[in-house]
Amino acid sequence: MLGLVTSCSTSTNEQATNVTEMTIYSGRSEEFIAPFFADWQAATGIKLNVRYGDSAELSAQILEEGSNSPADLFLSQDAGSLGAISQAGLFTTLPSDVAADIPAAYVAANREWVGITGRARVFAYAPVRVKTLPASVTDLTKSIYKNQIGIAPTNASFQAFLAALIENKGSGFAKTWLEGLQANGVKIYLKNSAIVEAIDKGEISLGLVNHYYIWEVSESLGRAINVKNGFFAPSDLGNLINVSGAGVLQTSAKQKTAQDLINYLTSPAAQQKFVTDTHEYSLLDGALPPTDLPTLDKIGAPSLDLKNLSNIKATQDLLIQVGLL
Amino acid sequence: MLTTSPARIAEPPSSHTQSQRGWRAVLLTSVGAVAGISMIPFVYLLVRASDKPFDEIVQLLLRQKTLEVLATTATLVICVVAINLVLGIAIASGLHFVHLPFRRLLVIPMVLPLAIPSYVFTYTWVALIPSFSGFAAAVFILSISTIPYIILATLAGLRSIDGSQIEVARSLGLNLPQTFLRVVFPQIRGHVSAGALLAGLYTMSDFGAVSLLNVETLTVSIQNMYRASYDRSAAAVISFVLIAFSILFVLADESIKGKSTQSQLLKSTSFKSPLIRKKYLRFGTTSIITAFALVAVILPFYVLLTRFFSNPVAIDWTSLATATISTVSVAALGAIIALVLSAPLGLLLSAGASRFTTVTNKIVVIAHALPGVVVGLALVSIGSKLGALYQTTFLLAFAYAILFLAKSVTSMSSSLARVPDGVKDVAATLGMNPWAVVKKVIAPIAAPGIGIGTILVFLTAMKELPATLMLRPTGFETLATQIWSSGSINRFNEAAPYALILVLVAAIPTFLISRPDKEDHSYLQESTGGPSERT
Amino acid sequence: MNALEVSHLKVLLSGKVVLDDLSLSLAPGQIAALLGPSGCGKTTLLRSIAGLIRPSEGQIRFGKQLVSFSSVHLPPHKRKIGYVPQEGALFPHLNIADNISFGIDSSVFTKDQIRQTTKEMLALTGMDGFGKRMPHQLSGGQQTRVALARALAIKPSIVLLDEPFSALDAELRTELRTDVITLLRSQNTTAILVTHDREEGLVSADVIALMREGKIVQSGTPEDVYSAPISPTIASSTGDALVLQASQLSDGTTDYILNPIKSSAPLVASGHIVIRPEEIKLNKSLTDGSINGQIIKIDYYGHDAMVAIDIAGQHLQVRIPGPFDFNVGQSVALEHVGPVRFFSNN
Repeated sequence: MLGLVTSCSTSTNEQATNVTEMTIYSGRSEEFIAPFFADWQAATGIKLNVRYGDSAELSAQILEEGSNSPADLFLSQDAGSLGAISQAGLFTTLPSDVAADIPAAYVAANREWVGITGRARVFAYAPVRVKTLPASVTDLTKSIYKNQIGIAPTNASFQAFLAALIENKGSGFAKTWLEGLQANGVKIYLKNSAIVEAIDKGEISLGLVNHYYIWEVSESLGRAINVKNGFFAPSDLGNLINVSGAGVLQTSAKQKTAQDLINYLTSPAAQQKFVTDTHEYSLLDGALPPTDLPTLDKIGAPSLDLKNLSNIKATQDLLIQVGLL
Repeated sequence: MLTTSPARIAEPPSSHTQSQRGWRAVLLTSVGAVAGISMIPFVYLLVRASDKPFDEIVQLLLRQKTLEVLATTATLVICVVAINLVLGIAIASGLHFVHLPFRRLLVIPMVLPLAIPSYVFTYTWVALIPSFSGFAAAVFILSISTIPYIILATLAGLRSIDGSQIEVARSLGLNLPQTFLRVVFPQIRGHVSAGALLAGLYTMSDFGAVSLLNVETLTVSIQNMYRASYDRSAAAVISFVLIAFSILFVLADESIKGKSTQSQLLKSTSFKSPLIRKKYLRFGTTSIITAFALVAVILPFYVLLTRFFSNPVAIDWTSLATATISTVSVAALGAIIALVLSAPLGLLLSAGASRFTTVTNKIVVIAHALPGVVVGLALVSIGSKLGALYQTTFLLAFAYAILFLAKSVTSMSSSLARVPDGVKDVAATLGMNPWAVVKKVIAPIAAPGIGIGTILVFLTAMKELPATLMLRPTGFETLATQIWSSGSINRFNEAAPYALILVLVAAIPTFLISRPDKEDHSYLQESTGGPSERT
Repeated sequence: MNALEVSHLKVLLSGKVVLDDLSLSLAPGQIAALLGPSGCGKTTLLRSIAGLIRPSEGQIRFGKQLVSFSSVHLPPHKRKIGYVPQEGALFPHLNIADNISFGIDSSVFTKDQIRQTTKEMLALTGMDGFGKRMPHQLSGGQQTRVALARALAIKPSIVLLDEPFSALDAELRTELRTDVITLLRSQNTTAILVTHDREEGLVSADVIALMREGKIVQSGTPEDVYSAPISPTIASSTGDALVLQASQLSDGTTDYILNPIKSSAPLVASGHIVIRPEEIKLNKSLTDGSINGQIIKIDYYGHDAMVAIDIAGQHLQVRIPGPFDFNVGQSVALEHVGPVRFFSNN
């Protein structure tokens, strides 16, 4: 059942009366998110004009558009691109009653964006070939994994993880680690799905991806694959939980409507739908995890302020420096 | 030798020349506007790049990765162009000189690859050979994608050669290869070079194929910087590397064209030397043509068709139809805008090149090397300030026009150059004012060539992706965006219907361009070894 | 009233003076031949008259109408001039009939009238039945005829022909030229024919204008220009000319190799005389006091022959009528029968 949280905030920014439609830039692919939009549209009668694209490309577009952007809401696949928009000062501060049930760890400290689903960093591996599971990301520079590892450095999730690494251990450490990987014959892929496929094919044995890719690849191939998810030891930086989230554009005239949509997406029913349909984690306390996976609190994610994931520049510069970008 | 005293002035003074001067001013301003429009991406890149401090820019330009990517791009372009030249000239010469069955129709499959986007080619070949990836694969795909440019250009050049020259050369003792090298080739050099220029520039700007095949060219690098990094300034800096490289290419083409023999042929009758019937040549040509058709047309079509029919997912016919209509309409609009923009430049060029028009011409051509993502973002930057105009089909069509203006301009100026010299003067003395001369003489003669250029823009616009993604109205899907949104390579089955329809729809204009040349159109005098009709 | 008057015309092209203080007038129906070496400005003059070039100084008038004078410049499409350029320039995309009728104003004439005129023009130029053909199907001579028909179809007051016969072989050339001139005369058209063929000019025209470096250096009837050239160089431009050293004496006689004078009269001027090759007679019988020379070479042209004679080391070319009785090596007597055209060195 759909439960729309009606908010009566006192500090709404502009809100047009009689909203009939709203514009969303969605970095989440149509296939996954469209059903949610359809449900909301049916319940509220408000037409959603959704522009689908890649999160980072859309964020670049919003940055170029600046205050002239027609977008009301930006739904992103990762915190990094949300952080970039926030840093450019293009998001509104969300009132405290929007997505009130999402734990603070998954919400921007300045409340300019909120997390909606959880995406855990894992290592996907081929059980038949990997006998010794790595306990830490730092293990990946060891010779037993020589030429066996795949990463996707252009991927936002990888960069988010790297940003966490830099934040926690410093860029010198991160640089050494990256160079260690390169020396260990790490293979570069453009997409996470390509990594999982490669593991299945036997090109590599282990790859740094997000947890839901084993489902995604298996569904698209139409068959089971010989790849499993593995987590590093608790508190290891490789266990980063990233979020997909949303923010409302400052220049939007439909702030309240956008907030309503965010509340819908963070409602228990919608959150459960995320777990079932897209195999992502719900961010609500006590929610069921995806099949065969530990709950969020059991993963032992490093304690890290997600806000710091928007320190993208340093991450990118480092990747450019070592030649991975 | 009498001089009489000045008589009454018979006509009001200067009103005619004033209007002529007015026309010239209008044309010049229009060309200036076109130059300005073509400069939009460059200005955008300058503004973005200047956000970076100078030493960072230098560091970025000189770091190893940049140089590696530049080397990859350069090698790729050189390989593709080299292969295309050898193969393209061979095929075109075979089609022109050798007696083959169904000779006139064989051109069509040679040119059909133009209807297939490079990413669709990649998809089909990966479907055939799952391990298809890497540099060699990229060379292969980009070669078959761009060879039609060279084939069409060479054919146009070959048709302008007087057959009697070949007879003379043979009678002087030259064998076939010698005749080709010493008589034919020098005269087609300019045409071939123009085709190679387009092929090279396209290869530089391609993103679809190289990204799918994991080859990092400058375009991929730029796109990655936009996509994965929010550092638009770094991307802009790298874009300048791309521009510099394309300038080199353009200059190389200039120097080749300058050396080619300018043949002013005033034949009243065309002399076509009889077709060669030598067995080994007929066999050789047929083999090459068949092999190429197999690899570039038959196999991809086969894959598309089988995927289409074996599709487990039900086809959404409505969205297919809508996407088709959207694609065709916005591409057509783009082609028309390109035509309108290139008309003043073409008209001025046909009246004689000035430094102004030459520079504008060069800017337009260099802009052709820019990847769609750059032009897209540049127009996002400007377009978003235009309020209601932003994210409209008109702006998208306009982006297509900027992206592909070079094709329209080169075909226009070469078509206009085919108007014989004295004809315009004679028309004037027969009572035609300048506008009537354009309407009744220049336009009819130049129309076929201009039509081809416009069709080429239309064709290329249909396949465009990155700029389309950014600039289209929300919810507006083209066949290309639908193919893209079907995700990764292994979900190709969902993309197959859109890919198939795109190729079929694009095949129609491609067929129009490649129509067998009516041999008796030799009345069109080829006055220079410059760009050919279909560039 | 002259059909065409060009007065003190000055034309600059790319900063260079191409026509310099040029004046020319033609009475209605007159045909003028413009002779001169390449680059002397013949085509420029035609194009200026047609309005395709704007002069910097001077006047051009058609009858009463002033078409070009300082700020006045009637554009070409209003001048009603027939222009036949060197390359013919037929419209490649139109058939012959449409080419011919191209300049006829369809807002003034009906379709039938236009058809009729086209038919007349085709007949006049001997191109009956060619109406539906395309230009590239025609030979060079045929294209020239069509170009002329096209120019005449607009009933122009003046026709300008720029070396229209240059691309043709000799036999065709003569035939076509005759037809064209006859046609022009029959229509009483004023015309200027540019040619570098001396004989063509002499045979076709009422007036010959000799151009050199942008100026008209001599004009007049063919006879005048041929027999009374104003300088040795000019003489060569209208026909073969023998230029011999000569001296003029105080008693009015001129001393030159064919007329040695043994007088004691003082020298008044030294210079050259110009003789036409046909003005020398050859005689087999040598007499006392005859000027003798030896035949070195005979070029036989059928209707006449050019004989090269050696006189005291000098070579002269003599033209003699066809049937002759001389051999190479023979000694002959030379007699100058013709005017003594003396040009002083000063």
